[in-house]
Amino acid sequence: VLHTTRPLHTTQQSLAPVPPLPEKGGEVRHGLIPEEFFQFLYPKTGVTGPYMLGTGLLLYFLSKEIYVINHETVAAACILAVIIYGIKKFGADVAAFADKLNEEKMATALAMKNEAIQTLQKAIEEEKKEQWRVEGRNYLFDAKRNNIAMLLEANYRERLLMVYNEVKRRLDYQVAMQNLMRQKEQNHMIQWVEKSVVQSITPQQQKESIAKCILDLKALSKSAHAAV
Amino acid sequence: MNLNFFDQFSSPSLLGIPLVLLAMTFPALLVPSPENRWVTSRLSTLQLWLFNLITKQLMTPLNKKGHKWALILTSLMIFLMTINLLGLLPYTFTPTTQLSVSLALAFPLWLATLLTGLRNQPSISLGHLLPEGTPTPLIPALILIETISLLIRPLALGVRLTANLTAGHLLIQLISTATMTLASSMPTISLLTLLVLLLLTLLEVAVAMIQAYVFVLLLSLYLQENI
Repeated sequence: VLHTTRPLHTTQQSLAPVPPLPEKGGEVRHGLIPEEFFQFLYPKTGVTGPYMLGTGLLLYFLSKEIYVINHETVAAACILAVIIYGIKKFGADVAAFADKLNEEKMATALAMKNEAIQTLQKAIEEEKKEQWRVEGRNYLFDAKRNNIAMLLEANYRERLLMVYNEVKRRLDYQVAMQNLMRQKEQNHMIQWVEKSVVQSITPQQQKESIAKCILDLKALSKSAHAAV
Repeated sequence: MNLNFFDQFSSPSLLGIPLVLLAMTFPALLVPSPENRWVTSRLSTLQLWLFNLITKQLMTPLNKKGHKWALILTSLMIFLMTINLLGLLPYTFTPTTQLSVSLALAFPLWLATLLTGLRNQPSISLGHLLPEGTPTPLIPALILIETISLLIRPLALGVRLTANLTAGHLLIQLISTATMTLASSMPTISLLTLLVLLLLTLLEVAVAMIQAYVFVLLLSLYLQENI
């Protein structure tokens, strides 16, 4: 209904908390008359009191022609029949539909709230896991340190090998040089000795040695002939 | 009281005080106002759902400028529907059976759509007077016809509403009179007539809602052409 609940502005128009809606509407009998009316008449007239009142009033209006039966009465009966049929047939469905609309609205909000809670809980777990990971940091650092030490060691040994090879190359060179010098000196000496010997052979000696060789050869050939 | 068939259409007055304004504004009391809470009662929820459905239906074919008309078209629809449905109760006066009310609603709204169209996009709105693909010799005749059709629109809107409702109410009266008169002489025929009356009442309920819908739908169509 229109905002008739605060006609004189005697109370605060506070926004929250709004008092909850009652679970069920007021009790009515025959869809029209509130139950309180029946309770009001019960002490004096018992259970049938209100019905007697209604019937009496109706008959009074009809008999005294305060209410005249005309064509509108028939039309009233028809529209009443249609209305009652409609309410009886579709009333529960419409109420269920309205309840469903409200339920969906609340369910969406609830789903959002639950999703937010889930996300936050997951975030808490992730954070705990990260904290546990932090404890294992030392092992990671040790492993990295060992790694680096091994790299350095390997690099040092490589360089050591290189130095060794270089030094050996230089020393080999020196040795080769020395050997070469010795060889050259030996060859030179041998050649000088040969040259001297060849020079010292006089022609006289040469003739004598050749005649001797021929004699030897003849002797040998004689002995060879004999052998054969 | 002894009624003739036209008493239901006479403007109500109590001791010389015209009550027609009261008759037109009373239905607003029956529509619950939106509550200051998130989860509302069943009636408020259903009302909100209905209004959203109506507004969505009306505003979907309109462009953004047309959405300014959402409030008046939806309230017009609810106004007409409540008045028409309440008029089906016995001894109730239906304001929309008066031509003055219907024309008073139709004329200004139609004129508003026409002037909006002529002011903002005159060539487009005048272009609606000639359907596409007409053969050239027919053009003058067609423009004349379309102009007459355009000018008759408010009359058609108002008279359609009034005529439908008046005819329906009158039929109900006549057939209920027939039922009553036949009840004494030929009761079986009277029962048949009663059956016809029940069906007619169902039809009238439907017509009450449909006429309101058609009124607002046609206005939104005129708006689509012109905005």
